Amino acid sequence: MSTTSDLSVNETLPDSTASIEEEHASTSEIDQTHRSSTQYSFTPTAENSKTSTKPDAAKKDDEDDEDKRDDSMFVCNICLDIAKDSVITFCGHLYCWPCINCWLETKRPQLCPVCKAAISRNQVIPLYGRNSNSQQDPRSKKIPPRPQGQRTEPDNNQGFQGFQNFGDGGFHLSFGIGAFPFGFFASSFNSFNFNDIRPRNGQQPGSPQYEEDQFLSKVFLWVAMIFFCWLILA
Amino acid sequence: MTSPSERRLRKEFLELIKNPIPGVIIDGEKIEKNINEWNVTIIGAEGTIYQGETFELQFLFNDKYPFDSPSVVFIGKNIPEHSHIYSNGHICLSILSQDWTPALSVGAVCLSIRSMLSSATKKERPPDDLIYTKTCSKNPKKTKWFFHDDNV
Repeated sequence: MSTTSDLSVNETLPDSTASIEEEHASTSEIDQTHRSSTQYSFTPTAENSKTSTKPDAAKKDDEDDEDKRDDSMFVCNICLDIAKDSVITFCGHLYCWPCINCWLETKRPQLCPVCKAAISRNQVIPLYGRNSNSQQDPRSKKIPPRPQGQRTEPDNNQGFQGFQNFGDGGFHLSFGIGAFPFGFFASSFNSFNFNDIRPRNGQQPGSPQYEEDQFLSKVFLWVAMIFFCWLILA
Repeated sequence: MTSPSERRLRKEFLELIKNPIPGVIIDGEKIEKNINEWNVTIIGAEGTIYQGETFELQFLFNDKYPFDSPSVVFIGKNIPEHSHIYSNGHICLSILSQDWTPALSVGAVCLSIRSMLSSATKKERPPDDLIYTKTCSKNPKKTKWFFHDDNV
């Protein structure tokens, strides 16, 4: 069933497309002839008017004016000079990179000075002209590199709110009584490992505070071990 | 070696001389002496309640200009009576503080002030004029402005 219907479609399609193509061809032919005739009649008169009405001197002035206008189009919106190390915002406004960078650093939220659209360091496009001697991204030079991101780990042990007071120093202390003596082991080892993998905020390896914490956690680990042994032996 | 702020001010100065703004007159001689202090005369627009009056504005620029806004106050005897202008010459205008952007210029500020004057319908001082003028700092940039009226 399906194959026959497919076949029938395939058979009918080429005919229809062919007919459409023919129509296109005929219309475009008409267009072309029409255009060529108009071009032929119009172009000579246009040239004549240009050469006859404007003397050479006037033409030169016009060119100068145009040059000036072109130059003023590429003036930085902040320093009012021709933009150097130019960048353009997504909203289309041109700046020198040093100028716009200075503005981005002075004010929050970061807004385009001309239209107040939201902009950022990564939302500007460097412009490279034909004769710009370096294809270097203007964002990468002259300006001090932006400070590295500072990342702090979120507190993820929300289930143990009760131990927060003990946890500040980087180790956990818990008391297991009766049926749960293993709590000692688990918590002590936890803190030991945690300190190795990711030091808490403000505690760089090597700092006196860090060493002290390491020492303390080891002491408590041993105390826990001894206590655990004593529990088993007793 | 001129600083970037002076360079930019010089450019603005030349531009205002080349293409003056109607109703705004700058004191060229004074600016030539000290580019960081401009005195500008504003002429009340025709057909407004300030028609025929002239007012004097003082612009003070610091070396962070244009990233920092200039300090702009009315000076002299004739300070326009307007609901956003205090009797000591301070102007409550958002572009002079939080809405300032480096794309603005002396010309743009003058135009804004002139249009602010033009849109007024009656001459009156701000309601808190007495308290403000007694307690404020000499520099209007040190005032924390609250902007509530977007119409005028």
